[in-house]
Amino acid sequence: MMSYTDTEMLICQTSRIIENNRTVFVGFGLPQVAAILAEMLYAPNMIQLFEFGAVGPQSMIPYMRGTMGGPSNCYKSIKWCSMTEAFSYASAGYIDIGILGAVEIDRYGNINSTMLGEGYDMPEKRFPGSGGGSEVASFCWETIVALKQEKRRFVEKLSFLTSPGYFSGRNSRESIGLPAATGPSLVVTSEAIFDFETKDRQMRLIAAKKGKTADEIIEKMEFTPIVADNLKTIEEPTEKELYTLRNLIDPYGMVSKGKQA
Amino acid sequence: MKRNSLDDFRLYVKEHKKRSLVDKRMSEAEAIKRYVSDGDYIAYDFSSLTRGPQALIREIIRQKKRHLSICAKFTLAESSLMTGAGCVDKIDVGFLGTIPYINRAAEAGKVKLEEWTNGSLSFRLTAGAYGMPFIATRAGLGTDTIKYSGAVVSKDPFTGSNVLLLPPLNPDVGLIHVQEADIYGNARVYGPTVSALETAAASKKTIISCERIVETDEFRKNPSATTIPAFCVDAVVHLPFGAWPGGTQGYYEVDKEQLSEFAKITDQEKMQKYLSQWVYRFSNHFELLDYLGSKHLSNLIEQATIIEGYR
Repeated sequence: MMSYTDTEMLICQTSRIIENNRTVFVGFGLPQVAAILAEMLYAPNMIQLFEFGAVGPQSMIPYMRGTMGGPSNCYKSIKWCSMTEAFSYASAGYIDIGILGAVEIDRYGNINSTMLGEGYDMPEKRFPGSGGGSEVASFCWETIVALKQEKRRFVEKLSFLTSPGYFSGRNSRESIGLPAATGPSLVVTSEAIFDFETKDRQMRLIAAKKGKTADEIIEKMEFTPIVADNLKTIEEPTEKELYTLRNLIDPYGMVSKGKQA
Repeated sequence: MKRNSLDDFRLYVKEHKKRSLVDKRMSEAEAIKRYVSDGDYIAYDFSSLTRGPQALIREIIRQKKRHLSICAKFTLAESSLMTGAGCVDKIDVGFLGTIPYINRAAEAGKVKLEEWTNGSLSFRLTAGAYGMPFIATRAGLGTDTIKYSGAVVSKDPFTGSNVLLLPPLNPDVGLIHVQEADIYGNARVYGPTVSALETAAASKKTIISCERIVETDEFRKNPSATTIPAFCVDAVVHLPFGAWPGGTQGYYEVDKEQLSEFAKITDQEKMQKYLSQWVYRFSNHFELLDYLGSKHLSNLIEQATIIEGYR
């Protein structure tokens, strides 16, 4: 087995759960790399959407970080459009999957990407904010949240609710006014996969990385998730995945470098 | 009853936006001097990495405009540079990246933020451009983001369910870099348009910078390719490499060396150093291009091998 980093594991796992023939709203950075890997190995007919107005790009490899709007990331698009048009496809129900990162996430899948600390006016740490995250998490049929398995990220209470999960659970998402039958579907980390059980909409551990126990994962969370009866095993990155990621997509390790897993 | 700000905008358009075919070309110094005032609200399109109006923004910094508010839809280096230069009091945040300088400034309370999203700012510009009293959406409902925005949660009068109402955005100034324009301001954007038309049509004063000037017949030959009609535009500035250090699709690639210069801006001292070196020392855009030199610029052109539909 080849050695790999936590970020590589996260990218490979995210790429595996993107089904073929889906429309996918892709955010900047790690979600882009996961989407390219999925397109190359698992979902050749996926249609990516970039918020600033690219429909169906098939990004050139090696991946070029930073210039998501540039010609290499927007390579071979089906259509260029405006940002309003791009978000409107999601608003009208055309976009199946959104992929987002998060600074913090809570048990109902609500996301913080704005700030840490108590007071909004003087945050302890300020992050970029919503970007298009709020729209993606509100409108896509399913939202996949990809982040590292760290206690400071899986929190009891968010410092700021930037993008919606299931709010306080049950049907609160729909009663607040968000589109029906939407919401976070899976949370993917470097060690685990969670879904949201259908009644209370709480995060549920459904799969653990080979060799990891549920307790070891829960130790890296501030709250305790529900644990599914039969935990599935997440296989480690395959040689083919790692080869594709390291040699073809991200040879300079601009996104995929991380801690040795 | 509050006076409808759309009427203010409509009246401004009636009085000031030129319908006649006048040559609107001018230098960047003249355009910024004439159309940007202290205290103005500025919107710009795309980013410091791709087809952003970077030369116009550098001129705003050079002319030491003050107390600006900016629409940072998905802003990258530009909000940091303008804030670091002391031009900006307030930022409407969509996405506050990618030079950490701006995040540190926010933590220190040095700049006032209002919290929006890329989508809501883009919808607001659309409402401003379309003359809509407001635009309704469902995204944003239930988030903390809207508590720090000017959005209003209301009831959909048709269904009774919650909706988020976004006020139209009509900036004082819109800055847009395009690939092609004619001397009157008809303009074409190739590639993702982000909010090029919306920003041009929604802004009271619209300044276009362009890679090249083309004759008006070019637009008449292929009208479906026109992004912005001339009556939205107040000034046309011919600025080849106007998006530098970003790229412009079909013309030149992003200057990666300069991106590593951005990454060095971690505090006010380094910000001043960057601004001295890359903004203040040049009295105009062409001096900067002279400094970069033909070999360096040719290299950026050489890297732009993907043409697709970009010209």
